[in-house]
Amino acid sequence: MNKIGKGLAATVALILAIAVSRHASAESITVVNQGGSPGDAQKIAVFDPFTEETGIEILVDTYNQELAKIRAQVETGNLIWDVASVHSLNDAIGCDEGLLEPIDWAEHIDESKFEAVGGFTDCGAPYLVSPGALVYDADRWQGEMAPRSWADFWNVEKWPGKRALPFQPDQVLEIALMSDGVAPRDVPKVLAAPGGVDRAFAQLEKIKPYVLWWKSGDESMQLLLTNEVVMGYGWQGRVNVANRSSGRNLKIVWEAGYTSAVIYLAVMAGSPKLEQAIELVKYSLEAESQARYAEIMGYPPANVDSYAMLSDENRANQPTEYLDRGMMQTGSLYIGFWRDNGDSIRQRFSTFTAR
Amino acid sequence: MSATTTLADTGQVPRRLRTLVRRAERQHLTKMLALMAPSVVFVALLFVVPIALFLFRSVDNVEIPKYLPSTVAEIGQWHEGEMPPEGVYRALTEDLIALKGEPEAAVLGRRLNYSVPGFRGLVTRTVRQLPDTVPASARDLLAGIDERWLDPVYWATLKQQSGRITDFYLLSAMDLQRGTDGAITQVDETQAVFLSLYGRTLYTSVGVTVICLLIGYPVAAVMASAGPAAANWLLMLVLVPFWTSLLVRTTAWVVLLQTEGLVNKILIYLGIINEPLSLMFNTAGVFIAMVHVLLPYMILPLYSVMKGVSPVHLRAASSLGAPPVTVFRTVYLPLTIPGIAAGCTLVFVLSVGFYVTPALVGGPSDQMIGYFIAYFTNSAVNWGLASALGAFLILVIAAIYLVLGKVVGFDKLRVR
Repeated sequence: MNKIGKGLAATVALILAIAVSRHASAESITVVNQGGSPGDAQKIAVFDPFTEETGIEILVDTYNQELAKIRAQVETGNLIWDVASVHSLNDAIGCDEGLLEPIDWAEHIDESKFEAVGGFTDCGAPYLVSPGALVYDADRWQGEMAPRSWADFWNVEKWPGKRALPFQPDQVLEIALMSDGVAPRDVPKVLAAPGGVDRAFAQLEKIKPYVLWWKSGDESMQLLLTNEVVMGYGWQGRVNVANRSSGRNLKIVWEAGYTSAVIYLAVMAGSPKLEQAIELVKYSLEAESQARYAEIMGYPPANVDSYAMLSDENRANQPTEYLDRGMMQTGSLYIGFWRDNGDSIRQRFSTFTAR
Repeated sequence: MSATTTLADTGQVPRRLRTLVRRAERQHLTKMLALMAPSVVFVALLFVVPIALFLFRSVDNVEIPKYLPSTVAEIGQWHEGEMPPEGVYRALTEDLIALKGEPEAAVLGRRLNYSVPGFRGLVTRTVRQLPDTVPASARDLLAGIDERWLDPVYWATLKQQSGRITDFYLLSAMDLQRGTDGAITQVDETQAVFLSLYGRTLYTSVGVTVICLLIGYPVAAVMASAGPAAANWLLMLVLVPFWTSLLVRTTAWVVLLQTEGLVNKILIYLGIINEPLSLMFNTAGVFIAMVHVLLPYMILPLYSVMKGVSPVHLRAASSLGAPPVTVFRTVYLPLTIPGIAAGCTLVFVLSVGFYVTPALVGGPSDQMIGYFIAYFTNSAVNWGLASALGAFLILVIAAIYLVLGKVVGFDKLRVR
């Protein structure tokens, strides 16, 4: 009995200590991001130097872009997070439904530096772009046999064998249109026009028997590294990591056209730490922070000024010469289309791939 | 004998005795209830009530009556086949003006978009462009903002979905829809996804359960009949994977099963196969990984029941001349049926809810219904549909349990 009593007392003391210590660091904000290696890079490149400079501590939580978790916190008024990393669709929905704080970013940040990635939204500040493109093993396919376009990706006679595509409708439909001759910048317009979705699915139907669908970034690189596929669609950051860690020569075909997810930082609606949160977003978007982050992850910086600060090796891996071949997954047309049709396309994609 | 006669003679005593017994029983019952109350309250508050509330969402249609009150009141005046009267247009315009600049406009748009893809964009656009007051002709105003307001399909949806309760989600979960004329029809072939997912979920779960039973039964029997030292070792072998995280085990299978993975390399090295087998991203991979993950749930209940089967019964049967097969069929198997029932129920119920493992080691045709429930709960935040899908899953499990109970007998299904 005595022992149990002591144990209980110790536990209560511990809980109190944790609660007190959490309160003691009043100058702290909680950020939620996707975790993993991008999360680690963000901590080293942005959060740690920010804490050093301002004394504001950053607590990091992770989530998988579940909008439901943001909604639950805002609707119950029980905020755990202050700043959230949200992809363009969730940024738009969260902003419209009052889950994210509308902020006049022009007051704080020079918005002109971010035009290439689609600029700011009512709630979100673009801090990260994640391009996905055609990837092949440059040691395996050389000279004439090196693929140059998405039409090559669809050419199963010249390159017999499987191809790797993500098990996600958005990127797959978009590159399907590129393979059919649509210029990357026109893809959102064509997709949203009547018949656009049917055209993309018809194009996918042609290579469906040759497709291996991957469900994680790791898997996409595994398929290429083990030669299970002749080429694939992969995310730039993953390609850099795969080349570095396994000493291989995977190459990205930027000129074929690529899609770029744009990720935003936004402040949770009603956050009591609005001021500090804005400070953090400002710091995250500074050219130096962006360059540090790009150097670690290999993603292109969102701030155009950061390109000049990159190492030569890193810059060589960036789509600097092919910025016009990138399709940014943002903008009102794009977002509006996916918000209206996302669920029905997802169901159609699911039946399409299962058949 | 004499006591009974005495009691019967007096007639007084038994009545008093009966009262006493009843009082004692009542006290006992009160005590039992008091003891059980905390757990009953706990289960009710944290299990029954939340599930009931969530299931209610499958018929809940709060958004439309709440955000479009005047429209809901007026829309009855409109009849199919003609254009909606000005009063209906006016009511909708008034409702939408009230939503100007409010986040509720987005919530309403999201709900309407479930019924007609594109309805969200229409509402958002209209709300943004509306003036602050209704002009003489609301119809011209709305049609001027977007001519889709002249399309009866949007009005038919509003009329059909104007009640507080809707069957929309339940129908969607069965790949059905209610047409503008009110008739229930199949959804478009490209959109019909859920029925086949239910089918696949059941097929996979039954398959996994049967394989687990076939593998687990002999293992549990060996464990139950082994000496204490050996039994402990075997138990450890079963429990270590049981305690390992699901994700770690699933990822381990990915490493083992891939084309250039360990399993294929060993088989090629041994000369059993020439070409690597595709063990992953297909149904085989899903079965291998799920059986591995769920096997302990079959072995443990079987083991605990088999442990209680006295060897004396088996010896008695043998000594009466029964051959081993007969001993097993007539003595051992019937005695272990509670274990089989418990193990199968556990494995089946758990595998019905699986979606992480099929997603990682299966192909696109191996997804289970749990994937879409999670998608609609977490990402799409379409809780009505998530709840409807879950409700049917519960119904299916309950139906299977009832059928099994009728066939095998409920007393034997009881998990001990």
